[in-house]
Amino acid sequence: MILLSLMARHGYALTFGLLLAEAIGLPFPAAIALVAAGAAVASHTLWGPYVLVAALTGLLIGDTVQFWLGRYMGWALLGFLCRVSINPETCILQSAESFYKRGKITLVIAKFIPGVNTMAAPLAGSMKMRYWQFLRLDVAGAALYTLTYFLIGYVSRDFLATILRGFRTAGRAMEAVVLAALLVYAIYRVVQFRKNKMYRVVPRIQVQELAMRLSSEDASRVLIVDVRSHGYYDSGAARIKNSIRIEPNNLEEELKHLPKDMDIYLYCT
Amino acid sequence: MAHLLREKGFNTFVIVGGLTAWRKAGEPIEGVPENDLVKLPTFS
Repeated sequence: MILLSLMARHGYALTFGLLLAEAIGLPFPAAIALVAAGAAVASHTLWGPYVLVAALTGLLIGDTVQFWLGRYMGWALLGFLCRVSINPETCILQSAESFYKRGKITLVIAKFIPGVNTMAAPLAGSMKMRYWQFLRLDVAGAALYTLTYFLIGYVSRDFLATILRGFRTAGRAMEAVVLAALLVYAIYRVVQFRKNKMYRVVPRIQVQELAMRLSSEDASRVLIVDVRSHGYYDSGAARIKNSIRIEPNNLEEELKHLPKDMDIYLYCT
Repeated sequence: MAHLLREKGFNTFVIVGGLTAWRKAGEPIEGVPENDLVKLPTFS
């Protein structure tokens, strides 16, 4: 409701800003903004071509920034973006695999795939795609994304209005929905807590303690293992001296080569 | 991953703070060998 009212007053700037924000990786509701903009156009509050230009400009500027950052910052940027994802260790690889599987067409559909949408442009930059080729595919992807949600908003204006009226009149139903959402969130937190509790059974060691062990006669029984995945894409990356690497995405195979008679110390970033 | 290794019978520990803590403590590090770097395909 707030978004619709803002859209009526600052529609073009809001559309541009939210889509730019999403394109540079911020968690803003760009798709919802497009739906709201489509509804605003259908109700003659905004003019369609301006909305589409604002949306496409925001997306293309954001994607271009990400592309060039990916080109010059490489895996350091991807690692940073992945650090805020649900599964940092496999984030880059999954996004890269998406490129493997679908090829360059990934750029056209990436905006519809959560996670990949943020990674696609910097990946294309990192993987040395030519800018004009990137731009061509990105324009197609941005246009497809923009038009899809814009048209959803445009054709469902009456439906959206009905829902909004329903929200106003069905206050109790909304409370129930909010309570249900809170309950689901609480259950999720409990499951996460129990999962983390299970992981806490793995003993932890402080750096100083391990360093002391490495300087003792017992050092030959120590194996330090690097389990980062995205630390291994950047030339010039560092690791603990004499450590070996296990690829987290190929664990079953890697375990065959690990000695069972040594104490294994794992680390990541 | 540490939990999984323990389940498979490896005597596993986790270094608190990871590489960042190790580096901050001034302990020795080395560059990742060129052969270990993961090569991903490029479009060029």
